Amino acid sequence: MDAKKTHFLADLFVTFTIAGIVTWYLVDAYKASSHIINLILVLPLSLMVLALCIVEIIKQIKNKDEPIEKPEPVITAVPVICLFTLYIASLAWLGFDVGTSLFIAAFLWLHGERRIIWVLGYAIVFGFLVALFFSAMLPYQMPMLVLPG
Amino acid sequence: MLDFIALQAGFDLLFADASTWLIVIPGILIGLLFGAVPGLQISMAMAIFLPMTLYMDFMQAMLFLTAIFTGGSFGGGIPAILMNIPGTSSSIATAFDGYPMARKGQHNLALGIALGASTLSVIFGYFILLFLVKPISELVLKMGPAEMSIIVIWGIILIASLSGQHVMKGMIAGFFGLLLGTVGYGEAGVTRGTFGITYLLDGIPAIPAMMGMFAASELFRLVDTRYLVDDSAARKVSISKIFSGFKSVIRYPWVMLRGSLIGLLVGAVPGVGSSIANLLSYIQTKRNDPDPDSFGKGNPTGVMASEAANSSSEAGSMATLLALGIPGGGATAVMLAAFSMHNITGGPQFIREQTDIVYAIIFANFGQAFLLIILGLMFIPVLANVVKVPMHYLIPSVLALATFGSFGLTGNLSGPITVLIFALIGWVFKRYNFSVAAAVIGILLGSMAEESLIYSYQISGGQWSYLLERPFAILMLIMLMFSLFGGHLVTLLTNKVKTNV
Repeated sequence: MDAKKTHFLADLFVTFTIAGIVTWYLVDAYKASSHIINLILVLPLSLMVLALCIVEIIKQIKNKDEPIEKPEPVITAVPVICLFTLYIASLAWLGFDVGTSLFIAAFLWLHGERRIIWVLGYAIVFGFLVALFFSAMLPYQMPMLVLPG
Repeated sequence: MLDFIALQAGFDLLFADASTWLIVIPGILIGLLFGAVPGLQISMAMAIFLPMTLYMDFMQAMLFLTAIFTGGSFGGGIPAILMNIPGTSSSIATAFDGYPMARKGQHNLALGIALGASTLSVIFGYFILLFLVKPISELVLKMGPAEMSIIVIWGIILIASLSGQHVMKGMIAGFFGLLLGTVGYGEAGVTRGTFGITYLLDGIPAIPAMMGMFAASELFRLVDTRYLVDDSAARKVSISKIFSGFKSVIRYPWVMLRGSLIGLLVGAVPGVGSSIANLLSYIQTKRNDPDPDSFGKGNPTGVMASEAANSSSEAGSMATLLALGIPGGGATAVMLAAFSMHNITGGPQFIREQTDIVYAIIFANFGQAFLLIILGLMFIPVLANVVKVPMHYLIPSVLALATFGSFGLTGNLSGPITVLIFALIGWVFKRYNFSVAAAVIGILLGSMAEESLIYSYQISGGQWSYLLERPFAILMLIMLMFSLFGGHLVTLLTNKVKTNV
């Protein structure tokens, strides 16, 4: 499958997904309560989004042969997205201090920084300093592994 | 219009003791810092430092808090320009052209323009407030829930119209955002769209969602970039260029005047205020520009329009606070708390009986604006060095900062999780040309739009004729229609006239 066709299908998929989420939300809101107060904005807005999605899908199908702006390749962003997801998921266990340092070190290593002193030095200094600053400024406890929350 | 005796008394209050002013410089610096660090909010800074004002007299407390407000209003534009992260929702439009300018190596100019536009419009806004504090507050009282609903819808449609050839996708994104903004515990006493997650009962955290959609998603796209500014020669930090940017705002008096007036008037509307003001000003400036296509690609007047509006909206929100005792947003709510800590109640009686204090607050803001110029010119060159940091250091650092900031906003891990989810949504939206800005504005204003509609329904008893009794609502509807179809109408009429000739 060529890049243009993939892009066209992905574009369609995104529009369908939005329409799907909106339909689900409308049904969920209706199930919660069919009172006008509950649906006063949700109902008309959902119908409007669905109508716009239908028109957009028709437009996309009609214009599928038109040239597209080539977006940046997905493959470059995927490792960063995975790493960021891991970072967020690990915060509860690793805390903001160690979690952030590890995330930054892994990112630097992944992007070609091989000077180990720089990688560890920057990651630890940045991670711990920012964690200290925020824990001092915020009125609630932050998850930390080494520093006091 | 002006009470000269109170004016003299206001001066005396301000200048009788020089120590009153000692508190202003730290206030501005705190505001700059909290505005410039993504995730730290001006209202958060004011709330943290509010207990300190217990030990100050009322005038000193007001000076300190408004200094934080003034510094923060400008500070929010700094990450918007340098990292595409609007520090506050009122700096969203600053990122539209500020960030492309930074990427073209015009970061010095953009920061200078932001400082110039911010400080001049603060001065302008408070100058107008000096004369019109009462009429502005009376105008605000005419804004009922019906008008608020129209303003929100208007804002979404206008922002969607910025999407160039993808207007329909912009509208889908905007209305989708509005729906997301209504997730959680609704006015009818039921929960919607929460998947049973208790964190979502209060709705989707809007500012972390904004940080994810604007900043994190953009950083995912820049992974392969070596520096924010490709050209190494353009990465220099130049004080002369910052200053030339600062001076350049004088060459665009109409952009400044329009932005400041929009900021002042829309900023006075509680709730929507500065979030919409910067967008309206940006859109009007784009419309009136001979080259509207250059907007979004680094047009300096875009930065000017946004910063002029969001800074003068501070004066607007102060008008509502002083004259009506109604806080327009988080920052003015903290000020209201300071009022009550000093046994002072804002409102018509306050304006009538303590006009000297009102004038003193207004004059203090003139002084703060001048101090902000000096502190900003010292502070910006340090921050502008961000463009010299290699992207593989900048990306994880900014992502981590956004994570910390989002935790700071929610107080639990729902903030960082929201950043992640909305970063992914933003990345997909950008890739397929759905307007991220429209979606973000929708999320920010969704619950307010719903509340306003419900109140309108309850007041009107479901009768549409209620709208006819609201001249302001009709005027706004006409303006909404004109902003939607006005351009086409003018083109049609021009073509018809040309054909007849």
